[in-house]
Amino acid sequence: MDGLYAARFSNYSLTHRLSKMNSFEALQRRDFLKQLGLASTAALAAPSTSLWGNEQIPHPQARADSCIVIWMAGGMASPDTFDPKTYLPYEDGLEVKKILSTFPAIDTNVDGVKISQGLENIAQVMDRGTLIRSAIQPDLGAILHSRHQYHWHTGYVPPITVAAPHLGAWMSKVLGPKNEVVPPFINIGQRLEGVGEKEELKAFTTAGFFGSEHGPMNLPFPEQAVQSVQPPKGMEPGRFSNRYKHFKSLLDQNPNRENMSDFQGESMIRSMEAAHRLLQSDEKHAFDLTREPKDSANKYGDSRFGQGCLLARRLVEQGSRFVEVTTEYVPFLNWDTHENGHTTATRMKKEIDQPVAQLILDLEARGMLDRTLVILASEFSRDMMIEGVPGSTAPDQSRARTDNLKEMKQYGLHRHFTGGSSIMMWGGGVKQGHVYGETADERPLMAVKNPLSIEDLHATIFTLMGINPKTAYEVEKRPFYATKDGIGKCAKGVLA
Amino acid sequence: MAMLQSSPALIGKIDFVHQIMPVLKKNCAECHTEGKKKGGLSLNTLGEFLAGGEGGEVAVPGEPDESYFLELVATDDTDDRMPPKGPGLSDEEVHLLHQWVKEGMEWPEEIRLGSSGWEPQLKPRVVTLPPAQAGRDHPIDRILDRDLSMRKVPLPAAAPEETFVRRVYLDLIGLLPTPEERDAFLNSTSDKKSEELVDDLLKRKIAYADHWLTFWNDLLRNDYTGTGFITKGRTQITTWLYRSLRENKPYDQMTRELIDVNKESEGFINGIKWRGSVNASQTRNMQFAQNVSQVFLGINMKCASCHDSFIDRWTLQEAYDLAAVFSEKPLELERCDIPTGKMATARWMFPELGQIDKNATKNERLKQLAGLMTHPENGRFTRTIVNRIWAKIMGRGIVHPVDAMHTKPWNEDLLDYLANRFAKDEYDLKKFMHFVMTSHAYRSQSDLLSGEPGLEYAYNGPLPKRMSAEQLMDSIWQVTSSHPQNANAKVERSYAHKGNLPTEVKQFAWPEKINAKWIWTKERAAKINLRKEIVLSEQPVAVGILATCDNAFSITINGKSVARSKVWQKPVKLVKTDLFNSGKNTIEVQAEMFGGSMGFVGQLVLQFTDKIKVIETGPDWKAQVPEKDWSTAHTEKEYGQGPWNKVLHSSDIQDGKTGPEPPVRASLVANNFLMRSLGRPHRDQVVTSRPSSLTTLQAIDLANGEILSDTLKEGAMRLSKSKNTGQIHNWLYRHALGRNPTPNEEETLLAVTKNSPEQQGLEDLLWMVFMQPGFQIIR
Repeated sequence: MDGLYAARFSNYSLTHRLSKMNSFEALQRRDFLKQLGLASTAALAAPSTSLWGNEQIPHPQARADSCIVIWMAGGMASPDTFDPKTYLPYEDGLEVKKILSTFPAIDTNVDGVKISQGLENIAQVMDRGTLIRSAIQPDLGAILHSRHQYHWHTGYVPPITVAAPHLGAWMSKVLGPKNEVVPPFINIGQRLEGVGEKEELKAFTTAGFFGSEHGPMNLPFPEQAVQSVQPPKGMEPGRFSNRYKHFKSLLDQNPNRENMSDFQGESMIRSMEAAHRLLQSDEKHAFDLTREPKDSANKYGDSRFGQGCLLARRLVEQGSRFVEVTTEYVPFLNWDTHENGHTTATRMKKEIDQPVAQLILDLEARGMLDRTLVILASEFSRDMMIEGVPGSTAPDQSRARTDNLKEMKQYGLHRHFTGGSSIMMWGGGVKQGHVYGETADERPLMAVKNPLSIEDLHATIFTLMGINPKTAYEVEKRPFYATKDGIGKCAKGVLA
Repeated sequence: MAMLQSSPALIGKIDFVHQIMPVLKKNCAECHTEGKKKGGLSLNTLGEFLAGGEGGEVAVPGEPDESYFLELVATDDTDDRMPPKGPGLSDEEVHLLHQWVKEGMEWPEEIRLGSSGWEPQLKPRVVTLPPAQAGRDHPIDRILDRDLSMRKVPLPAAAPEETFVRRVYLDLIGLLPTPEERDAFLNSTSDKKSEELVDDLLKRKIAYADHWLTFWNDLLRNDYTGTGFITKGRTQITTWLYRSLRENKPYDQMTRELIDVNKESEGFINGIKWRGSVNASQTRNMQFAQNVSQVFLGINMKCASCHDSFIDRWTLQEAYDLAAVFSEKPLELERCDIPTGKMATARWMFPELGQIDKNATKNERLKQLAGLMTHPENGRFTRTIVNRIWAKIMGRGIVHPVDAMHTKPWNEDLLDYLANRFAKDEYDLKKFMHFVMTSHAYRSQSDLLSGEPGLEYAYNGPLPKRMSAEQLMDSIWQVTSSHPQNANAKVERSYAHKGNLPTEVKQFAWPEKINAKWIWTKERAAKINLRKEIVLSEQPVAVGILATCDNAFSITINGKSVARSKVWQKPVKLVKTDLFNSGKNTIEVQAEMFGGSMGFVGQLVLQFTDKIKVIETGPDWKAQVPEKDWSTAHTEKEYGQGPWNKVLHSSDIQDGKTGPEPPVRASLVANNFLMRSLGRPHRDQVVTSRPSSLTTLQAIDLANGEILSDTLKEGAMRLSKSKNTGQIHNWLYRHALGRNPTPNEEETLLAVTKNSPEQQGLEDLLWMVFMQPGFQIIR
């Protein structure tokens, strides 16, 4: 019964993990065991947030070792992507209340399942995963994207009394890094400066009370990612390693070295060592997109998002635990269509279709798909008419209001809808070629079968990753659970 | 064995908090918790439960058959049955307990059904000081020395002076001592030099305010950027706060102004409002209850905002009652977001000191609360603040963590004495710091710990502290002279206050009109010189000088330095005598622009016995780019034109005193990637401690981040101009680390600079020094 009670110590138990690895990983691991004295770096000496409860919580068997979240920031309209409804093309004078979808549907390689025109490539990888159509969000009274994004990423609706950790930080904290050298939590494609609502974005793009050891490495521009793991601009590798070498000499030559070996000093030294190890390692090449063979790189297109998907694959290949790549949230741009919904959705689908499909195919070709959980999601869906859900007090934010279509900019789904949205999950432990949940065929397009709340979604994700959804850590003398108050229930219908 | 699929439903089936605790509370708590131990058995904690009672153990985890208490709750024998009175446990409840024991009696350590017996006192306590040992009669030393001697631990030695001077500067004003300041201290022969140093540093009002602003911003959840501002759901208290620190406003008055608010100070209790609906526990009313109790009393009302707390005595009712003090409308209690039908009454938790009139208006109620919070008998108020400041200075609170004031202090006498003294000293924060920092305890060698101290902590000297993000940035900027130009915080930092004009300036006959021109060199140069020569037939009685520069200038008259400024919005306005002579006089100005527009404008009014002579900047002045030829000054604009408009007519003036101008400090700029990665928090919640370790991601930022790298480049460039290579190693070590390099270190430093181009070598040198634990840790 050992497998069932695979208790997971957040920073210890390296030998335990060794036994659960395949031989390739074990080989990698052995190289790093040499530096075991520096392993787990600062975390060993630093005060670590402690688990709640006087017994180690038993974790489910992990189906996936890494997680990639493909984040369609801004509210991706499900009726125009993964949950097509009756289609009406643009026509002058068309009553908008008749409009459900603005694209026709196309077949996928799963019998009986259709998705929206414009996603032809993704349609050919639908058989590798489960399409959830019934994801729901709470009605918060007024739609503010960042609030729902915060909720989606941390499981808690702000404001809350403690700094809540991001999904990626949970995985980093509970599972630890997969490869000691590679940061376990990486966030690609979202600028955190120079965009609207950036403070709110920063508020959830964090490890919260876990401490920044589990925080994200932010790479807003994939093509520049390699700079994050290189010496500073303009510094040659030789100079960089010399600088570190001399730094260490100074450490040793400090006349008070013995009297100053306190834990803060030691943890500083360990962290510096870990940082320089990454910057001088082979793993850092994963960050360098120029190293991808041209024909392979071209399959991801040349958009920032497309290159971000490629980067995500490379980083997961090299052992990152959790990577998120986004089309980027910028108020009123990208998926956040307050007007011009149809035209913009056409463009957005073009941007994501090939890279996402290629990511799945590449992972599969490398034998990684079975152990990588890939999730495509957004903070809510969109509707032509309803803001929030029927009965919500959420004010109307459409910028293209009309009763009858007069121009193209009014054609599209421009209001925020929290009653039912789509999530696609591929890979690690997920049922293949399956649809979970359903929305109504007529407005309101509410989730009518198997509605999946954020808590349950997280419970499902955590279960697949081998984390008990009731896992809790102590903060301010109270338990803080992986799913809100520990109530999340895994949607078993999604699991293979 | 089937697929190892674990359904969460199977694991940990019994939920202690929701299923077991209510049963125990209902049926057992009355006789077996708090101070009660019927039959010798206490159920306050799992540990006490398992310890058993007079008859021995009553519960064995995992072994229901050996857990006697299960028999007692299920038996039909009315003599033995537990509880002895009432209907007893239902079959289902017995089954739950049985299952719970079978599964191992999961019970989180932190949850107590009752208190351990130690309750924090409300009122202040007069402490009898132990006698002084070895002539150390500072009250803090008398208490701590006894603490040490009772544990048979020797007194810590005094810290070396080099260590001490660095520590005091960083602790009090958040800056490194310059090599000159350091030498001055080391060379002083005064036998009270430590105390004098503390006195001197406390007099540096701006530096003190700059440094402690960080502490208070964290505590009062105040920032210049952050969530809530875009939807106007949040306001700053920055201007009020900084001024309060600069004036050393007493803490009780600060507190009253934060509760019984004015327009400038209301941002704290007004909380953060997110657009839309929020969880019942996070309305602004509830935020008020949580923030006020946490900040001023070290009480956690967050748990009690949703339900009666499981970990201490606070109830949902108490949290709501406090929220009702702030609320405009009547409040209904909601438990876990579900309305209960019960209403809140505006009330606070310590009626022994007085109570709020629930029928008063909101403003009245807040005023009453302010009075109660700062009531002379409110010992919890004083203990909380002295503990926070002690923690900042000595490295660890007397109560730890500092927001858990219901925890037993490691020395009750120390806490109570300091609290009492603080009140007696009229809640004067600087006086308190002075008191702590003049003890031997503060001057001791710091303790050496191999790990973060836990419950077993015992005092053995001050603890080393990691520099905060702000201290680190300030120190780096100091050494490299690369401070940012502008602050984001809207604070008053110039030497002269608006409105406090000296009499001679107020009474001077300033002409109405100003016909001056904004002048510069024709060439767009960053640094220039300006000159005007005049010949006078007699000496003026007085001279009025009114000038400003976009961005900085210093003015010298006949070789004498008169005034300088870095803030164009605040013109220099002063009146002097003895500056001018009869005959030839030379007015010289050094001007600098930081970017964007440029220009110097000024008016000198020479007052004679029977006339005045006005000299204004214009084309009759000379201008020069240093090292190049003098030429006619170029007129940029007429005075009065934009972008500066009529700045010389402003009443927001300064006296341009010569001497160091305060450069911008890290606490005054908005958070950025580097500072965030070094631990400067996102102030959406009250923050009362900073992380004590450097993480790998932070280290990566320090190793290659652009912000730091640019700062080092700029710094290296400056230093290469101002210091010659021979001196730099010593200077750098003395400034950054507070000591001289050893010969070995000297060799390494030489190796770095020897074979690289000068500037690169310097950049690397700076980096290596700044990354030393000896730099980043305050010992």
